[in-house]
Amino acid sequence: MTTSNPTLAIPGQLLGSTSKYQPGPGTHIHNHNVHASLMGTVHIAQPAKAPGPVKRLTKITPAPAPAELPTISVAVPTRSAGPDHASQKKREVLPEVGNVVLCRVIRITPRQAVVAILVCGDTVLDAEWQGLIRVQDVRATEKDRVKIYESFRPGDIVRAEVISLGDQANYYLSTARNELGVILATSEAGNAMHPVSWKEYRDSETGLTELRKVAKPY
Amino acid sequence: MADRRRINGPPGSTIPPVFEDDAGQPEIMNGKGRDRAPNTIRKMFLKTGVTPSASGSAYLEFEDSGKSGVSGLKLSCTVHGPRSLPRSSPFSPHIVLSAHIKYAPFATKQRRGYLRDPSERDLGTHLETALRGAIIADRWPKSGVDIIISIIEGDQDRETSKSQGDETWDMMNALSGCITVASAALADAGIDCVDTVAGGVAALVQDAGEDSTPRIVVDPIPSDHEKVLGACCIAYLPTRDEVTNLWFKGDLPASDAGLYTQLVENGMQASRNANRVLVECLGEATS
Repeated sequence: MTTSNPTLAIPGQLLGSTSKYQPGPGTHIHNHNVHASLMGTVHIAQPAKAPGPVKRLTKITPAPAPAELPTISVAVPTRSAGPDHASQKKREVLPEVGNVVLCRVIRITPRQAVVAILVCGDTVLDAEWQGLIRVQDVRATEKDRVKIYESFRPGDIVRAEVISLGDQANYYLSTARNELGVILATSEAGNAMHPVSWKEYRDSETGLTELRKVAKPY
Repeated sequence: MADRRRINGPPGSTIPPVFEDDAGQPEIMNGKGRDRAPNTIRKMFLKTGVTPSASGSAYLEFEDSGKSGVSGLKLSCTVHGPRSLPRSSPFSPHIVLSAHIKYAPFATKQRRGYLRDPSERDLGTHLETALRGAIIADRWPKSGVDIIISIIEGDQDRETSKSQGDETWDMMNALSGCITVASAALADAGIDCVDTVAGGVAALVQDAGEDSTPRIVVDPIPSDHEKVLGACCIAYLPTRDEVTNLWFKGDLPASDAGLYTQLVENGMQASRNANRVLVECLGEATS
């Protein structure tokens, strides 16, 4: 048992017991102990405040969640935007279910849009992951009347959410929320466009509008 | 017809240079024998982060022994990944590990080819087995990680390897170095590992002399001894007390049944010693 918490960890190092800590990212459990899996700095996140005492005696409350223990995790400094960071180590991140990613549309078919995932969360990805936005995942309403040609075009930058690991080649993505969709589009004339509604982009120079599934900007 | 398109060498034939054998050959053949305690491994230099373009990298060097013509093993390891698998490969819910080990053509006394030969593929398989027990594979679905090790200088005594053909024992030393350096590079790349795995070699050797009994030494240099009867290379996880890879080769005398386990124990001890160096190197890299 460690009396003082170590600040630096290497894989396999004992961090604490599972009765004192919850395992966070970068750790694993072995024999009721939390061990580090990565080489990096140890962080302890205190849990949210536990709810106060129950006022009504007859009220049935769920048993206290195990989230009351502080979460211990090992973090490797990721590649940051600022050039003045001393340790510019890049760490690869994998898109996981629920992550919001930025991607570029590569090609479209009547049933799906194939995209290349560029950024996951805050990390620019090194590896080339491919994603798929199926026609039923473009919008939340009127899914049967979606036309991919009126939602995405090749070259658009799209903000989407990962809904599934998918198969060997593709992640499955969805833009079925207000804040998901095309965030950057180029018109057929080649100019930058600005959004005017949830389904239209307007070319700044020619004034023509094109149909897209637009992400809410704010 | 003369070849006018290219810049040609001299038109006649040339005689390749023939080098004289080392003058100190008798000295090396007699040998001073092993100058370390039986349970002491050679000093190592290990450093991570030497290749900036790779996800993770490490460099390992063993100390030179005192004799002329024998210098220590030098290994360079780069880890690329986790990166996406090629489109054609089937879906894999865990990370796909591929390990490549290659001797540089100038690394050993006998010049090696540019393509991997079966012994190098064998080393690669052993390394993959050793690391598979340490990596937490299911944190990285649909990904692959490539570990590429280049042996810049092999662990061979020039004269002995030519005469005795002891290359296998040198490969065991090379494998244990590869395991240690790959473990450091994996930690540098940020791939989840259960523990730091280090490699160690223990051997049953017989020294010159009429009544010398075979004894067990760790981290052997084959030229130090008259004969190596058997050796084993262990990849060991110290925190979990687990062996991930065991490679045993040789001919043990049938009289002593416990010799096999004794060799494995000594190999584990050598791994623990190597792991101490590994832990210290990673600790320096983090701070």
